[in-house]
Amino acid sequence: MAEQSSLASRRSSSRAKRKPKKNQIPIGVLMVAIIIAIGIYLGTQSGKLLLFWATGIAFGVILQKGRFCFTASMRDPYLTGSTSITRAVLVAFAIATLGFAAIKYGYQSMGIPMPGMSYVAPVSLGTIFGAFIFGIGMVIAGGCASGTLMRVGEGFHMQLLSLLFFIIGSLWGAHDFGWWKLNVISKGKAIFLPDVFGWAGAIIVQLLIIGLLYVAAEKYEEKRKAK
Amino acid sequence: MENKVENKVKFFDRVKKNEYYKKWIKSPFTYLTAAILLAIFQIITLAATGNPWGVSGVFAYWGAWLVELFGGSVDKWYYFASQGAQSTLDAGFLAHAGTWRNIGIIFGALATTLLASGFKFKKIKSKKQIVAAVLGGLAMGYGARIAAGCNIGALFSGIASLSVSGWVFAVAMFAGAVVGSKLLVKFFM
Amino acid sequence: MNEVVIDCLGEACPVPLVKAQNKLNEMSVGDILIVQIDHSCAMKNVPEWARNDGHNVEVEEVDDGEWEVIIEKSK
Repeated sequence: MAEQSSLASRRSSSRAKRKPKKNQIPIGVLMVAIIIAIGIYLGTQSGKLLLFWATGIAFGVILQKGRFCFTASMRDPYLTGSTSITRAVLVAFAIATLGFAAIKYGYQSMGIPMPGMSYVAPVSLGTIFGAFIFGIGMVIAGGCASGTLMRVGEGFHMQLLSLLFFIIGSLWGAHDFGWWKLNVISKGKAIFLPDVFGWAGAIIVQLLIIGLLYVAAEKYEEKRKAK
Repeated sequence: MENKVENKVKFFDRVKKNEYYKKWIKSPFTYLTAAILLAIFQIITLAATGNPWGVSGVFAYWGAWLVELFGGSVDKWYYFASQGAQSTLDAGFLAHAGTWRNIGIIFGALATTLLASGFKFKKIKSKKQIVAAVLGGLAMGYGARIAAGCNIGALFSGIASLSVSGWVFAVAMFAGAVVGSKLLVKFFM
Repeated sequence: MNEVVIDCLGEACPVPLVKAQNKLNEMSVGDILIVQIDHSCAMKNVPEWARNDGHNVEVEEVDDGEWEVIIEKSK
């Protein structure tokens, strides 16, 4: 392959660095020390707080280092034709499904109540309405719930504002929740797939759906690229 | 004394050029790597805390504590009426596990950005961004309460929990994202 | 051979990508598009799109948290 001069060197506009780059690593190390210190303090209060702190840190690191944005997974297929994050999200769903199923099945087969069942929420018009406006909001605001927190950590003022109004919106929603529960949500039903298909059936059905969506996403991206 | 500071600066500059630093700390994960790690920590969360990961439920409590800070009360609201909710409210912000997890996300992202020497304050550029952040934030907050969760609690955790609600959320959220994209291009770009 | 610079500093996801796509569409093969960004998402999704589309791409870090994505329209 012929040696190509780098693009950067072929540019006609010179780009003198506006100011010398600072090295932020020392501040980063300081931040790590602060994180550990907070962890130690929380540990003296309760193991639970330390656990939540640690997993929060982990999620923040993974999301930031992966530039992982659930918003992009739903927005990009339409806006840019890209489904790479969409497919990654599907992979995350598949792996988490297996882990969750294993844990829940284990509890159930030992006769103990399964953990996390409150997250098997009733399916109602409230679900549809809420998810719909959440979808609109996250694209406009430039980040979903996790994405907003991540971007606050990255220094985006816009997401700090978004977070403030996310809190206000949550309060508003909590205020109206009674009405919704009475008139809409209580008319819905929570459906736990293993209750319908059995454990094996549920896992197979869900993984199948995820698999089909994955293939569809890949083909969709190829189709959009070809245009 | 000056020599010590100089040496320290040189040390961190050398770290910055180190190949392991570049490979492990500075360069981003692939989406796939991040997806696998997120799933692993989801599973760890369920196993260790008894519940899957959730983010937006915490914000409702933050709102409630803000109300209380200003002298109000949410105790008569149906949403906060249960015993569990009341004891959470009484215990306060600093004792709330979910609060620390959300703050942890912020700090985790901050630390990793700093370590990669990529941190920068990004100020708001236009009125459009303000309107977008306000409307978008309100919509997310309200929608998440009504739909019993956000992209994490209702979507990620819901689907992983083999709940049909997660899938319904996904479809409706996707529809909303399409509408949001059209609005974004039309009004906010 | 044209060189166009678009300033996307301070823009929220996915604005840099959409602006880059629109601009590149207007340009001719051989032209160079330089996208100035400070969004970590864009630092990943703009090069990804450009490479997928078959163009020559390079990313330069010009400051802490600031990058320039240099795209040579190749087709």
